[in-house]
Parts: sequence; C-alpha cells; structure tokens
Amino acid sequence: MQRRTILKSGGAMMLAGLTPLGAAFAQGQEIVLGGSVPMTGDSAETGLNLLRGYECAVKFINEEMGGVDVGGTRYTLRLDLFDDASDPSRGTTLIQRQVDEGVNFFLGSFPSRMVLPTASITEAAGRVMVQAGGAADDIFTQGRRRVFGLYPRASRQFISPVNLFRSLEPSVERISILYTNSPYASAQARGAEAAIREAGIELADLIELPTSVNDVTNVLSQIRASNPDVLICLTADETSILIARQMVQTDTNVPLLFQSLGPQNAAYTDALGSYAEGVTTLAAWSENVAYSGNYFGTATEFANYYRANFDRQMTYHMAAGAACVCTIAEALKTAGTVEIDPVTEALRNTDFECFYGHIRFTPEGDGDPDLMGTIVLQIQNGERVVIAPDGAKNAEPVYPVPNWRDRT
Amino acid sequence: MTATPRKLFLAFIVVLLAIGAVLPGYVSPYHTRVVMGFFMFAGLASAWNILGGFSGYWSFGHAAFFGMGAFGAAKISTALGAAAGSPAAMILPVAGATLIVAVFAALIAYPILRLRGIFFAIAMLGVSQVVTELVNNVSWIGGGVGVFMPSPVPAGTRPEVFYYYIFGALLLLIILVTYAIRRSKIGYGLLAIREDEDTAKMLGVPTEHYKIASFVLSGVLVGILGAVYGYSLGYMSTGSVLRLDIGLNMIVFCIIGGIGTIWGPVLGTAIMLFITQVLLSGFLDIHLMITGGIVVLMILLMPSGVLGFFNAKRWIRFRERAR
Amino acid sequence: MLFLQTLVNGLALGGLYALAAVGFSLVFGVLGIVNLTHGIFLVAGSYGALLLWEHLGIDPILSIPPVAIVLFGVGYVYQRTIIHWAVSRASLVASLVVTFGVAMIIRNLLQLWFGPDIRTITPSYSFSSVTFFDLRIDLVRLIALGMSLVVLLLLTALLRHTHFGRSIRATAQQPLAASLCGLDVERLYAKTFGLGAALAGASGAIIGIVQPFSPATEAGWTLNAFIVVVLGGIGSPAGALLGGVLLGLINTLTAQYIAPSMTNAAMFLVLVAMLLFRPHGLLGNAMGESR
Repeated sequence: MQRRTILKSGGAMMLAGLTPLGAAFAQGQEIVLGGSVPMTGDSAETGLNLLRGYECAVKFINEEMGGVDVGGTRYTLRLDLFDDASDPSRGTTLIQRQVDEGVNFFLGSFPSRMVLPTASITEAAGRVMVQAGGAADDIFTQGRRRVFGLYPRASRQFISPVNLFRSLEPSVERISILYTNSPYASAQARGAEAAIREAGIELADLIELPTSVNDVTNVLSQIRASNPDVLICLTADETSILIARQMVQTDTNVPLLFQSLGPQNAAYTDALGSYAEGVTTLAAWSENVAYSGNYFGTATEFANYYRANFDRQMTYHMAAGAACVCTIAEALKTAGTVEIDPVTEALRNTDFECFYGHIRFTPEGDGDPDLMGTIVLQIQNGERVVIAPDGAKNAEPVYPVPNWRDRT
Repeated sequence: MTATPRKLFLAFIVVLLAIGAVLPGYVSPYHTRVVMGFFMFAGLASAWNILGGFSGYWSFGHAAFFGMGAFGAAKISTALGAAAGSPAAMILPVAGATLIVAVFAALIAYPILRLRGIFFAIAMLGVSQVVTELVNNVSWIGGGVGVFMPSPVPAGTRPEVFYYYIFGALLLLIILVTYAIRRSKIGYGLLAIREDEDTAKMLGVPTEHYKIASFVLSGVLVGILGAVYGYSLGYMSTGSVLRLDIGLNMIVFCIIGGIGTIWGPVLGTAIMLFITQVLLSGFLDIHLMITGGIVVLMILLMPSGVLGFFNAKRWIRFRERAR
Repeated sequence: MLFLQTLVNGLALGGLYALAAVGFSLVFGVLGIVNLTHGIFLVAGSYGALLLWEHLGIDPILSIPPVAIVLFGVGYVYQRTIIHWAVSRASLVASLVVTFGVAMIIRNLLQLWFGPDIRTITPSYSFSSVTFFDLRIDLVRLIALGMSLVVLLLLTALLRHTHFGRSIRATAQQPLAASLCGLDVERLYAKTFGLGAALAGASGAIIGIVQPFSPATEAGWTLNAFIVVVLGGIGSPAGALLGGVLLGLINTLTAQYIAPSMTNAAMFLVLVAMLLFRPHGLLGNAMGESR
C-alpha cells in the first residue's frame, strides 16, 4: 500500500514537473493570448500569415498605444502560441494545456477542422476564442457562446460577388464554377451556387477538383466548350496559379476570371506577370479599402506599419489576424475588467470601426455578413483595387477583360 | 523468466493499472489528455504490431482502417440521429463501424497478403490513399466538407476524462488480445511466417488463415480506435483522421520500442510522445526534423528497438557469465 | 476532338511522370530499395533551378547539369552512409522507414530555408502554346516532354553501351558474381544511387517551370514515381516511359470522363490493382530476377 502511494505521488510529480505550470498566467500587468496556428504541415502558409497578423497587432498595441487600458489599469498583451502542425490530436492536447495553465483568451488556428475541435475545448472550459481561421457553418451553429469568428460563415460569403456580377454590363448570362473538395471551398461553392441561382444566372458548370491537382487542361477544354461569362475558381493558391497559367497556355478566354484564393498574394503576380491583369478575387480585406478607426488608423496605415516591421508578404490574413487581437483589446477596454464573463458580453456586443472594417458579430458569433462580408478585388495596372461592395470600392470594374493575348 | 521476476512484473502491472484508474482525479486536464493520447497511440501501435510485428507484414496503410472507423461511426450516428450526452449512443455506431472495417479488411486480405515485403507495404499505402481520396471526394461520405458527431459525453463529466477511460480500456483490451495471440498457436504460426514463410507453409502451418486472421484483427482494433477518436474530435474532415503520419507513427512507435514484442509498442509510444509532445513541444518549427532524426538514429543504432536492445545486452551478459 | 485533346494532354503529362520516376526506378531495380527521399531530391532540384534563375538568371533548362551534378554527389554520399548502414544493420524494409525519416528532416530544412510558400519559375516562354488544328499544348509541357525523352534516351545509351552501364546491370542481376569478377559493388551501388538522385534533380528543374512547387509537394512525387514503376516496369527507362504515359492517360481520361476529383483515387486504385496482378510492371524487372 505504501509503495503504491509513493509510486502514485512520484508519477504525479514527474508529470507535473514537465510543464512550467503557471508560467503563462497573467502576471501583474500582462494579458496572455493563447492558441495555436499551423506553422508546419499542409496549412503552414496561411498559418504563418495569421501568426504575423497576431504579432503585428500585439506589437502595435504594446509599443505604440502603451498597452490596453482596462478599468484604469494598463495591461500589455503577450502572445503564447504553439504549432499545431494541422494535426488535431496535437492541437487539442496543447490547447488543453493552455486552458489548464489559466489562459482565458484564445486566438484561432486554421482551417475549420482545426478551429472546431480546439474551440470545443475552450468553450467547454468557459474560455473565449476570437478566430479568423474557420468559417465552416458548424463552428457557429452548435450553440457555442464564447467562440467568435471574423468571417461570416462560409455559406454566406458569396452574396457580395454575385451582386457585383449582376451589376456588370453587358450582363452576365452564364457562370462556371471550379472548386476544390475542401471543407471551406465546398461550403463556399454551395453558397455561390445558391446565390447564383437566386440571381437568375445560369450555372453552366459546377466542377469538383481533387485537393491536389497537377493538371487542369481537360477541365479547361470543357470550359472552352461551355464558354461562360464568368469563371469562378474556389481553389487553393497553388491550384489557382496552375489554372490561370494553363488558361493562358491553352488560350482559354473568359470575360471575367474570378479566383477565391491566390490573386491576393505576390506569388500570384510573380508567377503570372501581366497576365494577372483583370483577374478578380475575393478578400476579407484589402489595404485599399476605405475603412479606418482606432488601432493603426486607416487600412493603408496598417499596411505601412506591417511592412515596416515584418518581412513576410502581406495578405488579408495578416489584417484579419490583427483585427482579432484588436477586437479582444476593444472588448477588454469596454468591459473594464479582465473577468471572462463581462469580456464575453462585451465581445457579443462588439460594435466598432477599425482598419479592418466595421466589426460586429451575429448572435451565433460569426461576422455580420452585411458589414463584414467579403470585398471583391481586381488587379488593375498591377494594383489590387476594390471594385465591390459599393461602400468599400475605390475603382470601377474592368469588364469584359481583354483576351490573354492582348494583356501586355 | 523465473517465478520471482514474473511475480514482480505482475505486481508492477497491477500497480500501473491502479494508478491508471485513479490518475484523472489527481492530475490536470492537460496531463489527462496527454495520457489519453498515449493510450490511443499505444493502442494503435499494439494493434499494428499484431500483424506487422508478429508476421513481419509491415503495413504502411493502417490509417485506412482508422479513417474508415471514424467515418463509419460518423455516418451511422448521423443516420440514427443520436442525441448528444448519452454514452449509449456510441455503441451502435462504433459496433457498425467495426463491422464495416472487418468486412473491408476481410475482402482485401486474401489478394493483398499474397504480396510480400516492400510490395505489401506499398500496396497498403495505396489502399489507404484510395480510401482517403474516396472519403474526401465522394460527397455522400462527406470527408471533404467535414462531418459533425454529437458528443456522447454525459453532462457533468469532463470530456477528456470520459475518453481517457474509453481509450484506456481499449488499450488494455488490445494488450490482452496481443498477449493471447502471442501465447496461442496462431502466435507461433505468425512468428514462423516472419522467419521463413515458405518453410512454415511446407511444415504444415496454415499460413494463409493465420495471416488473414491477424490482418483482419489488427485492422478491426485500429478501426475501433478510429471511431472513438472521431467522437472525441466532434467534427472532422478527411485530413483529421486519414493522415499519412498516423499510419507511419504506428510503425515508428513499434520500431522504437521493439517490434514484435508485447510491450515494445507501448514503450515506444511512451518514449516518442514524451519526447515530441512534452519535452520538445516548445520547438515550434523543427519538430518534423526531430521526429525524422529519432527514427533514423533508432534504425541505425537499435534496429530491434529499446526492448530488443536491452534483451540482447542481457543475453550477451548472460552468455559471458556462463563462460 | 475532345478525346484527342485528352490524349495529347495525357501524353504530355506522362512524359513528365516518366522523367520524374526514372531515377526512382533505377535505384529500385538495382539496389532493391524503395527510396522515399526521391520526391525530396526532385523538389530540391526545383529549388536549385529557382535559385539559379532568381540570382543568376540562368534558364531552368540550362540549370539541369549543375543541379544534377550536385544531387549526384548528395546521392552518392547518402547511399554510402545512411542507406548502407540501414540495409546492413536492419533490413531492406527498414530502409523504407529510414528514407522516410530523412525525407522528413530535409523537408523541414527546406521549409526553414525557403518557407512553406508555393513557388514558381516563369521564364519568358512559359505562357506560349502550340496549336495543331484544334489541338492545343503549352510550350513548357512540350519542352518537358522533349527533355524527358532526351534524358531517357541518354540513360538507355548509358546503360547499354558504357562500361559503367554494363557493370550496373551485371551487379543488379548477380551482385555476388559481379563482385567475384572484380567489380566494386559497393561503389557501384553508390554511383547508381547518385545517378538516381541526379535524375530526380534534373526532372525537378524541368517540373519547376511546368508546375508550382513547395516542400510539401514531395510526397506526391514519390508516390507517383512508385505508381509509374509498378505500372511500367522496374529499372528500365522504357518501363518508366510506358508507366509514365499510362499514368498520364489514366489521369486525364479520368478527369475528362469520370470526374476531375477522382483522378488521384483512380491512380492509386491502378497502383493497388497492378500490385495484385502484376507487381513487377508490364515490362517486368529489367534488372535481373525479382527480389
């Protein structure tokens, strides 16, 4: 019996000795933001983008604003993020560790299949998560009370592009959609399909692509045959570049090419050069949007601050990540305390303007689709200009876009 | 083994069991999760070991069974429309998923076990890739979009404690099965296959039946773990469970502990998880490199694993003393 | 017409697959090792071409020789050390695990060095295409197909007509007899492995201008190489060409007539089916008896 007790306490001590328990507690004037991002593995590219966004906002708030004023006390923010390698088993275990260590405020991982299991743990422990990595409807429709997402849920994201297509002259009659079979893109495709049908536009093709694609020349043959007015590609960056390149190579022309991911990044314009002219894309944000407010000032000022401090090429993920941190900071300020319940309440009632846009959540916790819906960008003269919605745009759409051979 | 070490060993096991039974009450939820993850991976490695370790048929595609278990349970649970909060709601989906995996394994067992060595290994990798692609791209299965599973955890119970006990019980079951097989006629037959299949066959060992039996059993045990893992995630898409690294981890853990032994897979899992998830969890961007490095070093320095290494040392010492 | 276009696309893709697989095939045929580091060598070749292109403006086609030479050295040393130790201390199947471990390490290094982002190499001709009647094929694919035929022919000539080639074939068929005849088998193994790595690097440089790449794309290339070998046959350039073209056709035909999302499933299904019915490929093992 005695031996057993010794062994037991010894085992427990051994386990306890492994973790720096308490190291992550908010010490004195510090508030810890926990969470994970994929820094390696399949989703590392977006993961690093989000991470830089988080880092950028924390740096700005601490260094330029002197921290956050919570009920008369100044707190600085500290990030405590780990690599989940897009592996849910790793992610959930390490999130639990932070929950145990007393972290109250969490930032999100990417993509939805990582956000949902980790958010389930923070939710069950009564902690708060603000994330910009998952938009799958299930994250918001299962009654979670403390999980907030900056993006509107996936099925609601296609309203603003379809409004744009409806306003184009000559009118858009036929649209084709190519989409990757990933949770996010499939949900987006279903949203797009519904929005297009509702707008009374004919859906010429709805083609599913595998997650990793080597060659789309066949699909393009089919597109040439059905000859749509708009080609929508809901694909990952790599696939988008491949599609655009093979469209040029096979001289597959459409009056408007719309690609959900890819054209936001420099890698895209580097790869395509002047052929990128006129390509449109979806973005949660662009540095050309006409939004401004506390934290960073205007969108352009955010972009300038980011570039002055970080090397990694900027995408909207950085802005969305930074906006998550600002949203938490704003809620802390409004609540005037670091207690979870008042801060959650403040998050639920979030209503402020910043470089990212007007931030407000639906009762289920995702971004308000009217205020935080997607914007549509077009590459014009090498610049990414905003062409929709009307409230955010700084240029008129070019339509129809010249044939590939005429874009030099 | 003489009587005294055996008694000591049994006592040690009993103590471990007692500690395991009460542990969640004493440690933090994080440590509960760490141990829960250990139970699951040790179970996976032990289940893989029944085929790969005993018969020498190294499958690189056991992730297929894991994923089929998870998605099978998800489909059945959706079809039944089970309510959340009731552990009993798990029984039918998990049993159904087990049956699906069993039928699938039995169907492919005969043709695929005619291949040997590297060809078998790669054919299983191919099988797991086909399963992955189908789960991802057949919209009825829903791996692409992701499926939601209602939580069976009863109200008032912490989820990590609930799954701790389930995975713990499953690991115990798998070890007992491994033990029983190792001691049975089948076990000796499988070892004979590993040493020299043609000779074993010539000597009248029913090699086909033994191989198929261990293949199906190994796959089914992995499938059950997959089904429970799916529940513990709550929401999964293809990339959550049909991962190359899950299939490879089973092999790596066995190699490190000692392939073909009863406790090797468990020991190997403990060592690797301790190193990668606890000691080095802070090394953000080089954990792939660390895992790869350990694997390479182990193969080069201790090809028969930690247990094999120490057994060999003891054997040498024993022989030296005997001289 | 659509059918013809599909065939043409499949052929072009097949040339690429053949080139990407031939080094893997050679190593498998001669040493009996399934080299899971193959895809890494290939991606390393792409990155090598990218560096030369970005910093020195060297066209990826011209960067093939330097990239191949560097990778030959890497492959040579790699075989003499890690692979040799693994095979002699553990087993051939264990070499599968070792090469996988090494692949993890190098992939991590590439990620640290170049980042996880997707890269492309775009020389001026990368957007041109050639049209015969209604058939369209892009110039880079045509170049890639041509280059892979050139490399495969060179390799065939090397294996048939040089002393080195004859020694390789002799060693593959009867390692013991070859060493009795005075051949240094260990060194030949290392040279063959180096040649395999060089071929992977060369194909990587070409693939860099055809497709976007990142460290994570390596696993796909290794698997493709295995499928090509299992389809066509082990160890010979002709087998790689046959397997590559068949794989290319399977890919494009599935995409056209079943569903684009099913291409990978179809490729792996063919892999499993071939293994079950004819594991040494349609042309068999060009390098001696089966192992």
